[in-house]
Amino acid sequence: MKFTKLKRTFKEGLDNFYRNGWLSFATVSVLAISLYIISVTIILGVTANIVLRNIQDKINVSVYFNSDVAESRILEIKDKLVGYQEIRSIDYVSKDQALEQFKKLGGNNPSISQALDELGDNPLLSALVIKAKTPDQYDIIAKAIGSSSFSSDISRIDFEENKTAIQRLTSIIKIVEQVGLTLGIVFVFIGILITFNAIRLTMYAHKQEFEIMRLVGASNIYIRMPFVFEGIFYGASSALIVLVALYATSRFLSPITQGSISGGDIVSFYFGHFFTIFGSLILSGVLLGTFSGIIAIRRYLKS
Amino acid sequence: MLRFEKVSKIYPGDFLALEDINLVIKKGEFVSVVGHSGSGKSTLLKLVYAEEHPTNGHVYFNDRPLDEINRKHLPYYRRNIGTVFQDFKLLPQKTAYENVAYALEVSDGTEEEIKELVPEILDIVGMGNKMEKYPRQLSGGEQQKVCLARALVRKPLIIIADEPTGNLDPTSTWEIVQLLLKINEMGTTVLLASHNKSIVDKLNLRVVELERGKIIRDNAKGKYEHKM
Repeated sequence: MKFTKLKRTFKEGLDNFYRNGWLSFATVSVLAISLYIISVTIILGVTANIVLRNIQDKINVSVYFNSDVAESRILEIKDKLVGYQEIRSIDYVSKDQALEQFKKLGGNNPSISQALDELGDNPLLSALVIKAKTPDQYDIIAKAIGSSSFSSDISRIDFEENKTAIQRLTSIIKIVEQVGLTLGIVFVFIGILITFNAIRLTMYAHKQEFEIMRLVGASNIYIRMPFVFEGIFYGASSALIVLVALYATSRFLSPITQGSISGGDIVSFYFGHFFTIFGSLILSGVLLGTFSGIIAIRRYLKS
Repeated sequence: MLRFEKVSKIYPGDFLALEDINLVIKKGEFVSVVGHSGSGKSTLLKLVYAEEHPTNGHVYFNDRPLDEINRKHLPYYRRNIGTVFQDFKLLPQKTAYENVAYALEVSDGTEEEIKELVPEILDIVGMGNKMEKYPRQLSGGEQQKVCLARALVRKPLIIIADEPTGNLDPTSTWEIVQLLLKINEMGTTVLLASHNKSIVDKLNLRVVELERGKIIRDNAKGKYEHKM
């Protein structure tokens, strides 16, 4: 019996969905637009975050040691620094490695290799490359190292040189995060409101039918279920539309994002997370549709 | 079958719709309720299908007081009653067939029952050849016949008809009345509210007249107008 009920109300919902034609089209469009706005906001937020993380990853502070400090002493200092909770990673770059990197950067430029040959001795210094957990901690780390017991071994710390750049980046990251979060919340809120209103109007159009159904002897469940299913259809079909729209958007944005996301551009991000995006779209579409429907219909079922 | 005991209905705003109604309707009766607009006919009928509850007094259906039926059981009670209205109240997105089938679907009728009963009942009311039409494709008289079919399909104990011919031309009106009589002959109680004089006079059956919420006349074989 339960199964028959479910089958019948499902069919009712489906019939309502396609027989309502324009009304369904309008509802799905509104739902799709809100879902699109919400997901673009979220995806932009996630992308911006990844891009910023990548940039953050490239920031570091190098501590250069005097040329007479032995490698063992440097490694000893490295071990001490590992204990700092602000430090995420420390890499030791010896003189020779530094020279190699330098040569690589210079490429096959003959004048650079000639100049190096003329110097004879390796002019570069050994260094510890330090990455902090968050960009605003570089200041603390640099100060701590500058005033430490081994400060006499240090030739220079390049933090001072990069200080303004790092600080500017830090504040940009903070602003982007805050603005993104605020905008995200606002858009999600607007999206929910729009959807709720659209579904409420749809239900209002059905208002007289609720009365008829009650008079014919339909129980509240029997009246409500088809509209729940209708809400599910609205949600699912708008999710599918948004899925296509998002793909188009990411294609459009892909030249801008090329290279800034690890592993390619935004299109590959889209496909890389296809099932997450697909799942959350369907889920949020269906939830939005269903709950708006249930809340909207409740007032007409009070007898 | 139906019993009104000292029933009054006062709507918000102190509007007195019914006052001290005592009325007994027996199984198989055909009762016409007449009176001017606003005399309380519709309210009387609404009390029977429990769309409204009395402010004072009780309405009994087969000795069961209606105001004691809780909301959850109301749909089950309503399945005993077939309702027909002036404005038809058909579901616009459903065909004639589906509208009638709906009444069976919500009362847990099986697929076999639906497939058998719905065409049969539509045939009885003369709509067998228009089962797949939507209400907007049907005339007023045809829509009302579909409503009657929907009311009948569950084999109700009583049919409540509130001005069923109010929107119909004379020919359709008479067809609907004939159908109601036929239904009544098959044993179903009919409660008809009407202010169509010619119908009530031709029926020559029990007439209850309401005026300002009170019963002023109850004749076993009455006419629309009371002649002194």
